[in-house]
Amino acid sequence: MRRLLPWRRAARERDRDAEMRAHMALFVEQLIERGIPAGEARRQARVRFGNPRVRLEEIEDMNRMPIVETIWRDARYAIRVLARTPAFTLTAVATLALVIGATTAVLSLADALLWRPLPFPEPDKLAAIIRIETRNGVTSTTPALDGAMFEAVRDRVPSLDIAVMGGGGGINLVLNGTPVYARHSRVSEGFSRVLGVTPARGRWFNADEDRAGGSAVTVLSHQAWQRYFAAAEDVVGRTVLLRGEPHQIVGIMPAGFQSVDGVEFDLWVPLRASTSGEGGGDNFWSVTRLKPGASWTQAKGELVAVREDAFRLQRARSNVTRDLSVQPMAESLAERVREPIVLLSSAVMAVLLIACVNLASLMLARADGRTQEIATRMALGGGRRAVVRQLMVEAIIIAGAGGLAGLVTGYFGLQGLQTLGGQRFEQWSRAAIDGRVIAFAIGISALTSLAFGLAPAIRASRLNVARALTGSRGVAGKAYRWPRRVLVISEVAIGVVLLVATGLLVRTFINVRSLEPGFDRLNLVTASVSLRDARYNTTASINQFFDQSLQRLTATPGIESAAISLEVPYERLLNLGFRYADEDAADSSMTNLCYVTPGFLRAMGIPVKSGRDFSEQDRAGTPPVALVNEAFQRMYSKDRPAIGRRIRASGPEREIVGVVGDVKVRPSLGGPGMETGPLVSQPLILILASQTTDSFFRLVHTWFTPVWTVRARDTGAASVALTRAISETDPLIPVSSVRSMDGVMSEALTEQRLLMTLVGVLASAAILLAAIGVHGVIAHTVAERRREFGIRIALGATAADAVRSVSLGGISLAATGAVAGGLLSIPATSLVRSFLWRVEVSDPWTYAGVAIALLVVATVASVLPALRLLRLNPAEALRN
Amino acid sequence: MRRRAGNDRDLLGGTLDLLILRVVRAGPAHGLQIAESIEQKSDDVLLVEQGSLYPALHRLEERGWIEAEWGLSDTNRKAKFYSLTRAGRKHLAAEESRFTQLARAIARVLRST
Repeated sequence: MRRLLPWRRAARERDRDAEMRAHMALFVEQLIERGIPAGEARRQARVRFGNPRVRLEEIEDMNRMPIVETIWRDARYAIRVLARTPAFTLTAVATLALVIGATTAVLSLADALLWRPLPFPEPDKLAAIIRIETRNGVTSTTPALDGAMFEAVRDRVPSLDIAVMGGGGGINLVLNGTPVYARHSRVSEGFSRVLGVTPARGRWFNADEDRAGGSAVTVLSHQAWQRYFAAAEDVVGRTVLLRGEPHQIVGIMPAGFQSVDGVEFDLWVPLRASTSGEGGGDNFWSVTRLKPGASWTQAKGELVAVREDAFRLQRARSNVTRDLSVQPMAESLAERVREPIVLLSSAVMAVLLIACVNLASLMLARADGRTQEIATRMALGGGRRAVVRQLMVEAIIIAGAGGLAGLVTGYFGLQGLQTLGGQRFEQWSRAAIDGRVIAFAIGISALTSLAFGLAPAIRASRLNVARALTGSRGVAGKAYRWPRRVLVISEVAIGVVLLVATGLLVRTFINVRSLEPGFDRLNLVTASVSLRDARYNTTASINQFFDQSLQRLTATPGIESAAISLEVPYERLLNLGFRYADEDAADSSMTNLCYVTPGFLRAMGIPVKSGRDFSEQDRAGTPPVALVNEAFQRMYSKDRPAIGRRIRASGPEREIVGVVGDVKVRPSLGGPGMETGPLVSQPLILILASQTTDSFFRLVHTWFTPVWTVRARDTGAASVALTRAISETDPLIPVSSVRSMDGVMSEALTEQRLLMTLVGVLASAAILLAAIGVHGVIAHTVAERRREFGIRIALGATAADAVRSVSLGGISLAATGAVAGGLLSIPATSLVRSFLWRVEVSDPWTYAGVAIALLVVATVASVLPALRLLRLNPAEALRN
Repeated sequence: MRRRAGNDRDLLGGTLDLLILRVVRAGPAHGLQIAESIEQKSDDVLLVEQGSLYPALHRLEERGWIEAEWGLSDTNRKAKFYSLTRAGRKHLAAEESRFTQLARAIARVLRST
C-alpha cells in the first residue's frame, strides 16, 4: 500500500530508471567484450531493450490510484500557489492559529467545567443537597447546610448517602520539626464512600474517628505524599503534627484524586460535624450519592419528610417557607462557574467568526485577482468542479496549518488562562488539552475552512469565462462586490458588540477601583498566620502570642504602627448574628464582626467618627467594649446614637463606645438594606481580641487566619521584620503569605480585572480584524479603479478628491457595521449584565466611546490604502 | 505512444511471468541475466524485448512472489537482483504443473486428426 502513495512515486520512478540504465550499461559492456564497437554496441542494446520510457509508464499505470492522485496533485498545486503569496498565506495561517488557539483554550475550560462528567464513578448519581427558601413569594436556593440538616439527611433519609465538607484551607503541618503550610479539607466520614474513591494505600477514616473525642487521624493526597514524604513506603501509620496536635496518617488517596469541585488538597481530616459551634450555622456543603435501587423522586420525598427535624436550628419565621431538595452535582458545580465561562466562550466564538469572515473576504479578494488564471484554466478544459475543488483544497490547507498551529497556541493559551484565573477560579485547573479538545480544534478548523473557502469557490464556479478573458477593465462598483461589503459590515458589527461589552466591564472596573477604601492604603504590609493549632486554644495563649509578636514589631526601627485583626478590608469578613441587650432574643440581625488589637484603627488609618477608640485600658477583665461602623449605625441604630447601647454578639454583653468610618469589604451579607456589589460597606462590629472567649477563637480560627498589619515607610524592610517577629515568637508557625495592602486590594478585584482583560483582548483582536477587513476592501477598490481615477485626475479632479471619495466608502461601511453592532449589543450585553456594577447595560458613555474608537479605526483603515492615489501618475495609469 | 499494460502478457499468454519465476528459482539474478537466461534456455526461440521484462518484474514483486535488492554484477556494476520468495516458490510449483498439463492438452489436440 505504501508504495502506492503518490509522494513515493518519484523515488520509485528513479529506482526503476536507474535499474534500466544499469541493465543497458551491462548489456553494452557485454557486447563490447564480444568485439562489437562501442557505438554499434549502444545501438544494438537500445534496439534489444526497447523504449524504457514506455515501460516506466506501463509500470506507473499499474500503480495509479485515481482519487489520491488527484488530491495530491491539487494539494501540491495549492501549496505552490500559496507559497507564491507568502504574505497572504502567513497572515491567514497566523490569524487562524491565534483564533483557533484562543477558542481551543476557552473551550477546554468549558469542557472541563460544564460538559464533562465528574471524575467519579457513576457521576450522575451524585447530587448536592440544597435549601429552597421562599420569603414573601421570592424563592432562593443555597447549598449551605447546618449540622441539623446534615444529621437529618444522614440518619433519616435512607435513599441518600451524604457527606459534608466544612471550611478548610491552609494549616500548619509540622514534619520533623519543620513547619510547612499545607492545604487541608475537613470532611465527614462518608466522603470517600459517597465519591466512590477509596485510598490507594491504607484506609479512609471511620465514623468513630469522625466523632468528638475520636482519635486524631488524617488521609494524605498523592501529591502531599510525594512532596512532603518523598513517597516513602512506610508513611501510613506515621504521626504528624497538624494544627499542633499529633495526627496519625491512616491512608493515601490515589493520584489525580481531587475534591468534588476540582480543588486540590494536601490532606483530609475528620470534620466532626455537630449541631453546635460551626454546625450551629450554615457552614457545611454536601455531596450525596443515590443508593442502589433508590430513585430521585423517592429521595426528594424523604427529604420533604424530614423537613421539621432538618430546620430545627433555623428560627421559624411566619413569612418564610423552607424545603430541602437535591440538585445534580454537576449542575450545582457548573452553576458557580458558568457565567464567566459562557461570557468568554461567546466572546471567543465571536472573534473566531470575525476571523472566518475576514479570511473569506481575503479569499474572495484573492479569487478576484485570480479571475484570469481561473478563466484560463477553464478555457483550457479544467472543469468547474476541478476549479472549485482546487479552491477548497487551498482553504483546507490553510485551515489545517492554522489548526495545527492553533493547538500549540491553545496549549499555551490555556496555561496562561489558568495562571491568570487560577487564583479566583480554582476549578479552572481541571482543564487540560486532551483528545477531546484536539478533536474540537480539528472540528473548528474544518468548519472554518468551509466557512471561508466556500464563498470564493462558489463564485469561481459561476465565472463567465469569455468575459473574464477579454479583460473588462473595471470602473466603479461591480455588482458582485457586495458579498465582500456585507462580510466587512458584519465583522464590524460583531467587533462593536465585543467593544461595548469591554467598555461596560472597563467602566465597572473603574467604578470599583475608584471606591474610597475608608482607610489609608499606603505603606501597609500584611502577613497572615493560621492559628488552627492545639497550642492556641485559649484566649490567654493567643493573646500572649499577639502581644509578644507586636512588642517585637513595635520595637523594630522604621515600623510606625502594628496591629492584628481577624480580617482586613477588601476581604470577606466573618458574619454573625447580634442583638441589643435590651431587645427581644428573637430579634437578632446579621452583621460582620472582627476582633482586633487596640492599635488597629491607628495602623489602618480608619477614622473614629464619634466616641472613642479602644485603649490600652480595655483588656481582659475590664468591662467589654465594642466599636461599630457608620453602616451599622445607619442600618441598626437609625433612631438613636449607637454609642452607649449594649449588644450581644458572641460572648459577653458589650457596650458600644465609638463609631468608626466604613471600610470596603467583599460582601458576605445579603438581604434588604444591604449594599450589593463587588466591594461594599457593610455593618461591622469591632471587638478586642483580649475580650473574647476560647470557644469563639476556636470557631473563627477554623475559617479565618488572623492578619498582622504594619505601617512603615520602607515596606520591603517591614515584610522582613514581620516574618521575623512572628517566627521568633513561635518558630513552629509558618507565615503563609506576606502581602502589601495594595496587593490585597488588587486581589479583591481579580475577577473584574481578569474578565475585563480577557474580553478586552478579544475585542481588540476583533476590531483589528475588522480594520484589516475595511483596509482590504479599500485597497482593492483603489487597485481596481486606478484607471478611472487616472481619467478623473487627468480631467482636473484633485488627488485629494479621489482619496476622500474612496475612504468615505470605507468609513460608511464601518458606520453601517457600527449601527448594526449597536443594535446587536442590546440583547448581547445581557451576558455581561451580572458582572457590571454601577453601570447600565445601555450606558451612553460606553456607546459613545465605542463609536468614537470605531470611527478613528475605520478612518485610519480607509485612508491608509486610499493615500496610494496621491502617488497615482495619471498618464501611466491610463497607459496600462 | 503508450502501449496498454498486458500486451506482452497477451503475446506470451502469461508465460513471461512463469519464465521469470523459473529463472530466478536458480538463485538471485538481475534483469539482463534473466533475459539472457530465457533466450539461451529456449535456444533463442523466445526473444523478448528486454524492456518488457520490467513491467513483469514489477508486477511479480507487487504480488510478493519475488523480491529485489541492489547488488553488484560480476563486472562490479550496480544492478538490482531478484530472488524468489516463499510465496513465489509455491506459486511457481502450482503454475508449472498447470502449464505442463495445458501444454500436454494442446499438444494432444494438435496431434489428433
